[in-house]
Amino acid sequence: MWIRQTVFCASIIIFAVMLQLTLLSRLGLPGATPDLVVVCVVALALAYGPVTGAVVGFAAGLTLGFTPPAGGVIGIQALVFLVIGFLTGAVIDPRDRTVPILVGMVGLSTGAAALAYALILAAFGSNQVSWEEVPTLVLTSSLYGLLLAPIVVPTISWLVRRITPETEI
Amino acid sequence: MLNQRTRIILALLVIIALTFTILDLRGGKGPFSSVRSVVSSALGGVQVAASVIVSPIIGVGSWWGTWGDQRVRIAELESQNATLQDSLVRSAEDRARADALDQLLRVAGVGRYRIVPAEVIAVEPAQDFTWTVTIDAGRDDGLLANMTVINGQGLIGRILSTTKTTATVVLIVDTSSAVGARVAGTEEIGILSGTGRQDSLEFQTLDPLATLKPGQALVTFGSRSGRPYAPGIPIGEVVDVSGTAGQLTRIATIRPFADVSTLTVVGVVIRPPRADPRDSVLPTPPASSNFAPDETSTAGGIDDGASPAPTPSKKPEKETAAKPVPAPAASAGATADGGSN
Repeated sequence: MWIRQTVFCASIIIFAVMLQLTLLSRLGLPGATPDLVVVCVVALALAYGPVTGAVVGFAAGLTLGFTPPAGGVIGIQALVFLVIGFLTGAVIDPRDRTVPILVGMVGLSTGAAALAYALILAAFGSNQVSWEEVPTLVLTSSLYGLLLAPIVVPTISWLVRRITPETEI
Repeated sequence: MLNQRTRIILALLVIIALTFTILDLRGGKGPFSSVRSVVSSALGGVQVAASVIVSPIIGVGSWWGTWGDQRVRIAELESQNATLQDSLVRSAEDRARADALDQLLRVAGVGRYRIVPAEVIAVEPAQDFTWTVTIDAGRDDGLLANMTVINGQGLIGRILSTTKTTATVVLIVDTSSAVGARVAGTEEIGILSGTGRQDSLEFQTLDPLATLKPGQALVTFGSRSGRPYAPGIPIGEVVDVSGTAGQLTRIATIRPFADVSTLTVVGVVIRPPRADPRDSVLPTPPASSNFAPDETSTAGGIDDGASPAPTPSKKPEKETAAKPVPAPAASAGATADGGSN
């Protein structure tokens, strides 16, 4: 079972990374790039729980870091996505999976990911962060997260039920 | 709920992530450059394919403005559809691409740069605070690190790294970018650095007494053997000057000619011109009354490198000085009508 789960998670992550870098970041939308990878990490963490969520987040962060154009710092996204995956799996009780809570969770995560990346980058002493843009990036990132969530989360949980039916959702 | 095994896994992953971060931030080539190039080679092909599929919907962000009036848009599309059927094979996309290529060829032809054209296939997300893009030409096309990248409007950036079929370009607006630039029509040179914002660059002249005013254009000064920057490429124009003549540093804000947020066709300068094209590549060479007339010579100028510096008698120029300066003679003239052009 876990082989199928691993292959499934890996394909989702690679698909999301490719879509984010080749399409979403080139649409020229105002503000941040829609963070499809975070949304997918959250959706997978909701389906498989905190530990898988953390591992998937870590792997997704590294994939995003190593995929060209690879301008970001490797490791920061892995750390941020790891925490997001773990917290999502741990915080949301399977019993209160109502739509507003799930969508809100995704919006919170995408905003937090943008903010956390800036904070960690600055904490390591980098001067790349332009702080006057951070509020805009965080707000637009959560907004795009809120818009992506109603499409991505149900799709992934449907796929989870189809591909790994033994998972208890 | 957290058992022993879970805790170990989490701690291990956190430690790995932090280690990677610290290693990667140490700068230089770092231990990850080889991993990056392997991943680049593996995923570059996929990115090229994905880019072909998604290319018709790039730039969808600019449609936002017309959502208000759907009917106009529909009518527009219907008429456009008819026009397209009439005008046979050439689709709108092809034409835009041909225009971009035409402009690129104009720049390359006038400046005598030998270029390799390429298309942007991936862009770094905005929240990473780095401005890098991937293009679909690489070592096989003769590209090397530190080559200049231009488009039909002007300078875009330089090649950071290459794989066999792709290359990563760091754009001039990235905070790590610094370009030696010259004010067109003068001999003033300085350092142009990226600010991380797509529409502004910071220009600092080497001569603290230099007079700059809005509207003046900047071209690259050129590096030794044309790498990383070939000479004479238009960069942008001065929009604002802060600090006054005589202060230790004068910083001008520059708006780049090229819109780096919507790049499609770019050109990589694989061989710089034998002679510095000076200002001839600029779309409108500096024809302002402040400068010597022979600076206006345009296309085809192979080596007007010997054009004289502007005559000193015309020096007392309009200053955009914010506060009155006591001493320096150059700016003692009118402070009133600065910024009029």
